Formats: sequence, structure tokens, C-alpha cells
Amino acid sequence: MNKQFLKAGMLGLLVAGWLSQSALAQSDPSGKRRVTSTYAITNATVFKAPGDPGSKATILIKDGVILGVGAAIALPKEAKVIAGDSLYVYPGFIDGAGNMGITKPKDVERTKDFVSSTPPDEVAGITPWRMATDSYSAASTTVDDWRKAGFTLSQVVPDGGMLPGKTALVLLGEPKTNNFLKVNTAVAANFRSSRGMYPATLAGVMAKFRDIYQNTALVIDHERMFAANSGVKRPQASPTHTAFMPVVQKQLPVLFTAGSELEIRRALALQKELGFKLVLTGLENYESVIDEIKSSGTSVLIKLQVPDDKSIKAQKADGITEATKAQYARVKEAYDQALKQAAQLEKAGILFGFSTTDAKATDVQKTMKTMIDNGLSSKAALAALTTNPAAILGISGMAGTLEKGKLANLVVTTDTLFKEDTQIKHVIADGYVFDYEVKKKAVKAEPASAKPEAAPNGVQVEGVWEYTSETPAGSSGGEITLKRENGVLAGSITYDDPSGSGKASAPIKNASLTGKTLSFEFDVAAGGMSLTVTISGEINGKNMEGALSVPQMGSFPVKATLSSPSQAN
Amino acid sequence: MKKHIYLLAAFLGLGVGMSQAQVQKGSVLIKNATVLTVTKGNLESSDVLVQNGIITQIGKNLTAPAGVNAIDATGKYVMPGIIDAHSHVGLDVVNEASAPITSEIRMKDVVNPQDLGIYRALAGGVTVSHAMHGSANLVGGQNATLKHRWGSEDPADIIMQEAPRTIKFALGENPTRVHGRGNGIQPRSRMGVEAVIRNGFNEAIQYKKGWEKYNLAKAQKGNTVTPPAYSERLQTLADILDGKIIIHCHSYRADEIYMLINVIKDFNIKKVVFQHTNEGFKVAPEIAEYTMGASVFADWWAYKMEVYYSTAYNAAILQKNGAITSINSDSAELIRHLYHEAGKTQRYGGLTDEEALAMITLNPAKQLGIEDKVGSIEVGKQADLVIFEGHPLSSYAVPQMTFVDGVKYFDRKADKEDQRQFVAATEMVEPIFLRANEEAHRCMQDVDKYFEAFQGAFMNGKQ
Repeated sequence: MNKQFLKAGMLGLLVAGWLSQSALAQSDPSGKRRVTSTYAITNATVFKAPGDPGSKATILIKDGVILGVGAAIALPKEAKVIAGDSLYVYPGFIDGAGNMGITKPKDVERTKDFVSSTPPDEVAGITPWRMATDSYSAASTTVDDWRKAGFTLSQVVPDGGMLPGKTALVLLGEPKTNNFLKVNTAVAANFRSSRGMYPATLAGVMAKFRDIYQNTALVIDHERMFAANSGVKRPQASPTHTAFMPVVQKQLPVLFTAGSELEIRRALALQKELGFKLVLTGLENYESVIDEIKSSGTSVLIKLQVPDDKSIKAQKADGITEATKAQYARVKEAYDQALKQAAQLEKAGILFGFSTTDAKATDVQKTMKTMIDNGLSSKAALAALTTNPAAILGISGMAGTLEKGKLANLVVTTDTLFKEDTQIKHVIADGYVFDYEVKKKAVKAEPASAKPEAAPNGVQVEGVWEYTSETPAGSSGGEITLKRENGVLAGSITYDDPSGSGKASAPIKNASLTGKTLSFEFDVAAGGMSLTVTISGEINGKNMEGALSVPQMGSFPVKATLSSPSQAN
Repeated sequence: MKKHIYLLAAFLGLGVGMSQAQVQKGSVLIKNATVLTVTKGNLESSDVLVQNGIITQIGKNLTAPAGVNAIDATGKYVMPGIIDAHSHVGLDVVNEASAPITSEIRMKDVVNPQDLGIYRALAGGVTVSHAMHGSANLVGGQNATLKHRWGSEDPADIIMQEAPRTIKFALGENPTRVHGRGNGIQPRSRMGVEAVIRNGFNEAIQYKKGWEKYNLAKAQKGNTVTPPAYSERLQTLADILDGKIIIHCHSYRADEIYMLINVIKDFNIKKVVFQHTNEGFKVAPEIAEYTMGASVFADWWAYKMEVYYSTAYNAAILQKNGAITSINSDSAELIRHLYHEAGKTQRYGGLTDEEALAMITLNPAKQLGIEDKVGSIEVGKQADLVIFEGHPLSSYAVPQMTFVDGVKYFDRKADKEDQRQFVAATEMVEPIFLRANEEAHRCMQDVDKYFEAFQGAFMNGKQ
């Protein structure tokens, strides 16, 4: 303030003085205070919960609470109306575990008598008594970023060492209000060692975790004895043990960050050995541990980010050796597999939500679309953003769906969610409305060259093909949908789901049309393995005949007809 | 398509099973080989039948029961799976170097079944390795005995669960450098090493008494005895005193070896194996009388001051004095040709074939407390077997196939170019770390990282 004061000069001084004085008065010359806390979104397409097909309705909210959702809702005079005729309304997204708005507390200075083999807990990253609320700033730009992506509620996790502190549920509402919905919701834990002191490695962290757990249990016994009998030595619980008691007493879960398969296994092993309540967060590679997660009954929060495709895109097609080609294939396989993991969680029936920690808010839409393209159902995707985290956080009664009496947390979009062009127009968090600029779609005046290619050779490939294949086990079939995007053939294929009834869908890869020969690949997941199936055939008019081949199985005849060709504009 | 996949799953049944089953047990008949049993001589043109992971028959002209695959090993040699009593392969962490005694550390917590070193060891015929804590501390962590079931996803599946508990001790320059010179705490000298170990055991005795007192009192009415603090560190030392854990002690000099023998005599500890033991030949009779022997290098020394006085005859001298002696690797490279290392005892000491082979099979099995399960080809033992082209002690020997529990995990003829279990989706080239020198000793791994935080200057030697 001092510097500004000097620079402002006399006029500035006068204005500043006038402003600060009037801030105390009743009126609001800043113009920022809202006129009403009652809002209505009228006649919008409302999706009350995951799986809801959507119906026209009006939503009325007041003071951060949903007053009603339905067709015949009387609007009070003070309601500010948002015309929702062309809009779509979803429950606000919930972040199962995030670090938005969190700053890392300063390292505690080492005392002169510091001994690295027995450091004070605070120096060694063991601070379970710390609260996320102390290091959270609602005004942080990261909070803005996640709100803009549709998030209205987050479990914020403190930053630090192996036991950084306790988490809190915050609403992403008006930053100047108290946004804490619930404090001390879980005890955060990491496999993070301390540099240059005990515990200095992963092995040390696991041993120290056991030590803290067991000694906390003993301190509880001691305190109980002290309360019940006279003549008992005074208990002297350390701050660590006191803060860890709710874990041992199973009142709070441990929110364990475990990104890799091995870390997940290690966290599950500790849980099995000690018996605390566990929620896993930050999962990145978990395909091979899905069975273990399932059988342990643990809830998981997967990282809201899919691996970047830089490595895949950097793969060269020419001038490489066979060995390099083989290595490329393995990275591609790992990449494809990584994208399918969320769908596999859904299939296994595991309750999962997302963690925004270390994820990019601007990638949310892309991430969700990638997961859905790789087999995750839209319903499960929305559930992972809303009802699942609500259940994991124990707030299903107040958040996760659009119902009377629940928190006024909503996402308002220009089209149905998870579509490529859908944009978020408003986010309502804690009853506060945040407006976002919606970019007008460029009117697609299709240039002549972008017409569905009747191909130079006149072969029509775009559209929906119905196919059947003959295998020794009988005949089966499905639909192949092909479209040229920016000159590249892409699309999807449906097939009989190997693990049950109905059809499964997979994206088409490496599609090419050479002369009259169409060929492409797709991946089928079966029995924990992923198989790449290749279809190749010759097109004659609207018919295609060729072969479907599976590695180590052989090739089988396949026939297809173009049932609905794309119309040339 | 559905039926299609089922059919396929049936074709590839084994592959699917591998990734999901717990510990695989296999059946196989190895026919017409020279069987080097290690305990019962060499059997010419003989067969070994394995059923469900166990050797069930050894003899001539055996026939394969229905469904059991027969392998013709005519002209080849079959020996027991090689056992390495000192290794750090398959571990994500080696040293928790931050305290002089870290007996609460469990190497089983940090086993990584995806470590390529496991497959390379299999290619060298090694089926069991002793995954040890490093030598930065006087008492390091509790070790894990691994069975090289390559391809397992769960660390628990490569841990030999039935093996007894073992723990790492270390004497001499490593712990005095790390804790004394590096950190300014005890021990700074060999005298300090002894003092810290003795203090540790004495504290463990007090710890045990404290718990016994509490456990007796707590059931009584109006009890005022409060629970002592829990310490897995002291509990583990108490378990050593109770004979539940085998000590594997990193050592070089005769004086420190004799010092530890005196310590264990005072505390009535019987289960001790010395590791490295380069001056073991000077105290061989004592080692033979009071310990479970020594696990040594064939001919590796002079990499630091305390390892200058050495001889390649060390193993033979120890052996002739009646000490159980094994040859180990302590290296992800040496582990690939331990049969060569064993052969050196014939050049330096003239051991018989059987004595030399026992150095890498039965003897390390004894030192790990698993000699009733592995280490020789005998009916009833676990079927860890290696088929060699050429006698394993010949310079021209090449392992052909390696079996663990009757399951083939290595086959030279079906050796894939790329054996990685885990491939990152976002890394085109696997990252290479300059420090991770495969040929270097790994005994002091992780210590560098520990030091660079505040006192990098102390790391001169690599060991």
C-alpha cells in the first residue's frame, strides 16, 4: 500500500480515502455485490444424475441450495432468470482429491542438534496435524481454472512429505466467503521420503508408517487406561500420534497417493496388514491391479489426465530398423492400454472418481473424450465426475445430483457433455453464478475439397458398413463407421462383447485405402489381454470382401456392405 | 466375435493364466541328460520327472504321464537352479542409509518383479537370489529370498514365502564412513561398530522384557503398567536373539569377523553367515565352528583399503576347513555367470566338480535356510533346474533352459528381444541413469542420493 500511496499523488489519495470509507457504508459502489442470491434456469435440458436421459425443466436455487427441479416451478420475484432454452444442465463436478489453491508450507528449519537418523517429525515430512485449510487460498488462479472446467467442489490435499496433513472439502464458490464444507476429511499419505534423513527411502517410509500406526494404537490404549484408573503414568501423545488417532479408530480414511501398479500394491499391502480405511488417489498405471483393487473393496481416484501422445506422434515411419519398430509397437501398445484403463474400472464395477492433482484443467474435456472413445460409458464418466466422488467423500446426501435440497452446484453447457464442440457457459458453485465466454462455432462452409471423398479412384469408403465374419466358432458381426477427418480415415467398429452380452466398440486405428483395398486395425480386450485385430478387404461398389485376422489365431473371411454412405454436400 | 475370443483364450490359455494365477507350478520330464544332483553324484543318461513343481522321480527310461511335456536333453547337463546368496536384483530400494540400525526395514516392501535383472539372472541359470539390504548400516533391513518367477506382477509371487527370515549386518568401512565420518554419529571406528551392535542387542533385551512385563500385567485388575512404545527395530533384534532370523553380515577383515563371532557367542546367537569375508581364510576354523559359513567372491578384491588382503584360494581354504562356503555375485552382471565363478575354485584350490557346484547350489541354500527345499536334484525338492549345453563348470558352458517350480522361465531358443514387463506409454526411449552402473557393486546403492542432500564429498569409492 505504501508504494501505491506515494505514487498515487493527491488525487489518488482523495479517491482512495473516499472508497475505503464508503466500503463501510450500506451501498455497494463497487457494483460487485450480487443483487440476489436466487436464480432460476428456465426450460433447460436437465440431467439430474448420471444415466438420466435429460428432460426439459426449470431449476430454482436460493442461497446455495436447490429449491426445486421440475416443469411447474413457480419463480419468486427476486429470482434472476437465466433462459435455458438452448442450454444443458448437469450436476457440478466433484474433485475427489486435488491440490488447487494449495501452497506448500515452508520447510521447517533444522535445529543445531539435528541428527539425521532421528529427525523431528515436522522436519521429516510427518505432519498429520496440519490442515489443508491453512494452506488453501480460494482466490488462487488454479481454483478459477478448475471451476471453469466445471468443478464446484474439491477435496483439497495439503502438500508436504509422507504424511502432509488432513484434507478438507471446499466449494469453488465466491472466494471471499467461507468455502469450507467439511474440514479434516482424510489423512493424506504419500510414498515420499525425506532427503538426507530418516525415512530416506520408500522402504523407510513404509516402516515409519507402520511405526506411527502401531504407536498411535498404543497411545490410545494408554489414554484409555489413564482415564479409567488412578496411578497410571501420564500419557504423552505426540502431535503426530494425536493427529493419527482418527485413522487407527477408523474414523477417517487414509488418502494414499499411489500412481503406479507397485505403489498401489504397496498401499494395499499396508492396508491389509494394519486394517485402516483406505482411499487410493492419483492412480496412473493400474491396469494389472484392477482385480486386487476390486477384491480389497478400495475406492479409487484416478488422475484426471491421460498420457500425452508426444512419444506416439514422434514415431517415425521410415528409415527405422526392425528393432526400433518393435519398440515403437510396445510404446503404442502401452499408450493404447493406458487409455482403456478407466473403461476397465467401470467394467470391473469399482467405485472411482477423479483426482485433479497434477492434472491440467484445460485438458478435462479432451481427457474425458479420450476415455469415452476408449470404452468408458458416458454414464460412468459423469458418475466419476459427480455421484462417485460424492459417495467416496460421504456427501451423497448433499452433492452429486440435481435434486431439491442439495447444494446449488451446477454445470451449464451449450450441448450435451463429452461432445467435442460442447462448451461450458455457466458454472454455479455454492449458489454463485460464474459466466464464461462461449465461442461461436465457425459456420462450416464446407470447402469443395473437404467433401467426403469419392476418392480419386471413385471408391466410396465413408459411412456405416455392416459386416459379418465367419470363424470356426460361428458367425458374428457389427458395424464399421468410417469418416475422413482432415484427410485421415478414422472411425469406430462394434463387435460382440467378448466378456458378456451386447456390443462393444473400439476406435479404428491405422486405417488406409489403397486402390480398392481398405485396411484398418482395432483392439479387443479379452481376459486381461489386448489383441489387435486387423481387417482388410477389397471394395466393389457398396460391398467389401476380405479377411479378419487375429495374431496367433489366423485369418477368417469377412464381408461387409455399406448400409448408409455419407452424403456428399 | 464373442466365440472367437473364447476360442482364442483357449489357444493362449497358458498366457492368460500366467498373468492371473498366483504362483505357477509346472510339470515336465527332462530326458536323457547327465544329471548333476550335487548330493548324490552324477547320473548319466538319466531322466528327471517334475510334477506340479516338485521333483517326483529321477531315473532311466521314465515315461511322461499324460499331459506332461517331455524335453529331450540328450548330450546336455541338468543341474539344480543356481542360488545367489548375495544379490540386490529385483529391489527398488537397497539402502535406508539414514540410521546405524534399521532392522525395521523390510526388503519385501520394495521388491520389484519387473526388474530385468531377474530375467538376466535366469539366463545365467539363477533361480533363487537373496535380495539384500545394502551395507551402509551396522544392522540393515530384513532381506527377501526371491524365486525368479519372471513375468509375475505381484511382488509377493516372486518372494519365496517359505524361506526363513534373514537380515543384513555390515561391518567396517561402509558404516563408519556413512554414519561416523558422514554424519558425525557413532560408529566412527571399528570399536564403535562393535559397541553399536552390542548396545542394540542389549536394548532389544530390555525391550523384550518391557513387553513381557506389560503383557503379564495388562490382564490383571487395576493394572497401572502402561504399554511400552512399539519398535519393530528392537523387536527384530529380539527375534535375532531368539534364533528366528539368520544374520548375513557384510565383512572383510579377519579381526572384524572374529569380533562378530565373539559378539554372537556372548549373545548366544547361532545363525550367522558372513558375506564377502575376503580375509575369511585367516579365521576359517572359527567360522566353521561358530557360524553358518561364508559367502564369498571367487576373485574380486582391492576395490578399497579393507579389501586389499585377499586370495582367490579363499573359498577353497574355507571349504577345506569345514566352513559352509558359497560363491555370490553382489552384482547384476556377475549373477549371470556364477557357474564360471564356481569353476574358479577348481583352478584355485582344486575342488571337485561336486564341491564347486555346491558353492552355488546346496551351500547357499544352507545359508539361506532352504536346503530342504532347493539346492540339489532330489526327489521331493522343488523343481528349480537348469539345462546346460556343456558341463556348467566348463568355460564353454551355455545355459539353455531354466525352470523354477517346474515352470520354464528361460529358454535360449525362445529368447524374446524385448523382455521388458513394463513399458511407459510416454517414453520413446527408456531413461538411462548415469549412476546405475550394472557392473558396479550395489551394496551402497541409494547412499549417494542420501548424501548429496548435504554431504556429497564423501562418496569417492563406488562400493
